[in-house]
Amino acid sequence: MAQPVTESEFTLDTAAELAAGERSAAEIRGRSPWYLAWRRLRRNYIAFAFLAVFLVIIAACALAPVYAHHVAHTNFDTNHILETVNVSGHPTPVVSAGGIIKGKLVASIPIGPTWWHAGGKFVLGADANGRDIAVRLLYGGRTSLIVGIGSSAICVFFAVILSLIAGYFGGWIDFIITRFYDLFYAFPVILLGIALGAALAINGFHHFGITIQSGSIWIPTLVISYVLIPYVGRPLRGQILSLRQKEFVEAAVAQGAGPLRIMFSELLPNIMSSVLVFFTLIIANNIVLEAALSFLGAGVQPPTPSWGTLIADGKDLIATRPWLALAPGLAIVLTVLSLNVFGDGLRDALDPRAKVRVEH
Amino acid sequence: MRSNRWKWVGLVALAAAVAVVAAGCGSSKKATSTSSAGGSKSGKTFPLFKIATDTGTDYLDPGLSYTVEGWGVMWNVYLPLIGYKHVNGPDGATIVPYLAQSLPTVSSDGKTYTLTLRSGLKYSDGSPVKASDFKATIERLFKVDSPGVGFFGNIVGATAFGKTKKGSLTGITADDATGKITIQLMAPQGDFENILATEFAAPLPASAPAKDTSSSPEPSTGPYMIQSYKPNKQIVEVRNPNFSSSALDNNVPTGNPDKVIWDVIGDDSVALQRVISGQDDWEGYHPIPPDRLSSVQSKYGADIKTFTPANTYYFFMNTTQPPFDKVQVRQAVNYAVDRAALVRVYGGLATTTENILPPTYPQYKKHDFYPYDLAKAKSLIKAAGATGASVTVWNHDRGLDPKASAYLVSVLNSIGLKAKEKVINSGVYWTTVGNQATKAQIGFADWFQDYPHPLDWIDVLLNGERITQTHNNNYADYNSKAVNAKIDALKKQPTLTSSVNSQWAALDATIMKDAPWVPFLNRQFTDFFNSSVDLSCYENHVLYEFDYATICKK
Repeated sequence: MAQPVTESEFTLDTAAELAAGERSAAEIRGRSPWYLAWRRLRRNYIAFAFLAVFLVIIAACALAPVYAHHVAHTNFDTNHILETVNVSGHPTPVVSAGGIIKGKLVASIPIGPTWWHAGGKFVLGADANGRDIAVRLLYGGRTSLIVGIGSSAICVFFAVILSLIAGYFGGWIDFIITRFYDLFYAFPVILLGIALGAALAINGFHHFGITIQSGSIWIPTLVISYVLIPYVGRPLRGQILSLRQKEFVEAAVAQGAGPLRIMFSELLPNIMSSVLVFFTLIIANNIVLEAALSFLGAGVQPPTPSWGTLIADGKDLIATRPWLALAPGLAIVLTVLSLNVFGDGLRDALDPRAKVRVEH
Repeated sequence: MRSNRWKWVGLVALAAAVAVVAAGCGSSKKATSTSSAGGSKSGKTFPLFKIATDTGTDYLDPGLSYTVEGWGVMWNVYLPLIGYKHVNGPDGATIVPYLAQSLPTVSSDGKTYTLTLRSGLKYSDGSPVKASDFKATIERLFKVDSPGVGFFGNIVGATAFGKTKKGSLTGITADDATGKITIQLMAPQGDFENILATEFAAPLPASAPAKDTSSSPEPSTGPYMIQSYKPNKQIVEVRNPNFSSSALDNNVPTGNPDKVIWDVIGDDSVALQRVISGQDDWEGYHPIPPDRLSSVQSKYGADIKTFTPANTYYFFMNTTQPPFDKVQVRQAVNYAVDRAALVRVYGGLATTTENILPPTYPQYKKHDFYPYDLAKAKSLIKAAGATGASVTVWNHDRGLDPKASAYLVSVLNSIGLKAKEKVINSGVYWTTVGNQATKAQIGFADWFQDYPHPLDWIDVLLNGERITQTHNNNYADYNSKAVNAKIDALKKQPTLTSSVNSQWAALDATIMKDAPWVPFLNRQFTDFFNSSVDLSCYENHVLYEFDYATICKK
């Protein structure tokens, strides 16, 4: 059962409205906390602007196949090494010839950004395999967003379940779950992610009736969600421990409600605002973590592009073809910034006292 | 030895090596003492030579190291009984006596090698070098599970000693009084002199412990000794006070730098910058990053040297795993790979090939069975009924190599196969694809010579008799009775005459008609020096590459 509106949700805004006679007291009491949060959020134009940026990024990545087939006329893994492309009417090799030419050492270098001077081909240039960077950037974005959002959903789901169990039952169950959290806290996230990612990259996962082939993006998704469970679960457990002592829980117990009903009908709705904020903020966190793991070879496996693997591909040509690494880097920055700004806005709206912080 | 930069071993197991059994005739070879021009260049000495080396130095123990970097440090530290001339070019493959008085005398049946240690030799700590040290050194290889034991598996008693690691290796006898060393083989072996010239056979004091001595290096016999070693940080070499080049007929140079410091630098760009700024004198084993090549060439072109070590880069196709169990499919892949494209993937510093043996070998005879022909490749796949077959392309994650497998996946998909890529950590790659349980269908491989002899390529990599369950080097599991028999016959040949060389060349062609590999290029590399280095003294050895002992400063 959801809690009734309390005086604590009576804000300065509503006071001003009452004083101005714009609203009646009865009307104010009828508003749900979600409505109040929405009111606070919709006034945060910056948060909405960045939400729009994020949605544009999602839309662009979702339309990657359309761009690849109808604009760039290629695919994300098609090599064009020995081909030439007309840039402003001049035939230009996608990857230049190298070797000892006229007594001088010349390296093979891929084409740089054509900026629409090649009919939509190689807009951001090509990599050493002659693959279109703009196409790979969009496909890579799909991978990074799927891994980021998917891992956040799985992470938050398990963190909520474990925290509800730990916080409600307490005692030895809480002790075991808390030690599990402590165990993972003891390892730096990146190191743990590399260890798990590298181990699973060879043979995949074949245990407990679950089979995940190596190279599947489920591997980085699950690794990232797994290593971050304690970072979400621990603060949620603290909130549940506090809520467990509240009168409405005692009342539910007195009414004969069982543990499942109390956990999911009484406690869960009271932490949903925190869960939502966590979910939003941790997506950004996970996109960065995916990029880091993929850059180090323990995340998304080639030839599947992700922003992390694209940066890794581009680092060797940073001096002559900086866009190879800069483009995915900027995409990550823009995505993470938009999610963080929107997430902060959401937190300000849902959790004005800022109980939620993502730290590690 | 695999990949020039970071090639752990997967050397054939002892069991496989001793399986090389063949009776045969050999001819007696008269020992000769050769004097070379590799001596010290007088008046060229200077106080310090600094090197920005990569992270490939595995051990500074000659019984354990098996990387170009490790051997590159130690070939002027630990001298074998016989070794290679310190000269540029193909002449560097000539074996000359080092600690031995002369090259070995080989019995008429090709199974007994006799050498005599030079008298009066001392280690860097002043203790005498004894004939029994050689026997103890070979026994130590088995005790420390050296990656080099496979080379010595043909010695009588090696199998038994390898199992027990106790007692004595009966196939080697040594007389400290006369310095005479006799080695008995189970079967004639044409490359045994080359094996005696490896770092694995460099004598250490008999008291050397049966464990890794990298952190407290054993005393040396060469012009330099290792003063200190901090793994992954720094190696310091100083002159060996007991070394005399003239005592070795000037076959080993005295060395020009008084001191050599190897700074371990992980990043190619950082190493390049250190050499440009003068913090180091040589960018050791680091390639110049492709996107810096043009600017470095224009500013410091005179300080760059290019060289082509004996190497072959190839894709193996497992002949026991579908769809590559069909020769049409293997030939189709050979037709479909445009080797010129792969040269560009490697930055342009490479030449295309479809031979197994490298072009630097006298046994190399270029063949052209598989010109690029995508249509023919598609029709072969269709004819083999392999259209839509699932294929996993294996590769490791270091350097430019992953780009080659990304290209191969694209090619395989274009001819009708359904390919995906599996890129794993380079530290476990060779053992993974060399394990039969992995059933790797197709993947990347490369090979750099352990010693200049075709046996180190065709016998090690493609002899079906040497296929092992683990640490297998024959990734293609290529097992042709006719080819095996030919290898075994050629193995008995004591010298590489032009007739024998022709037979090796023909065997290369025979194998490639079966297409167990897609050889695609021979890579070139660069040595880059600070402008203070006098490159008129530059020597690049066919096996050990840059010779730091003979370099000069302006």
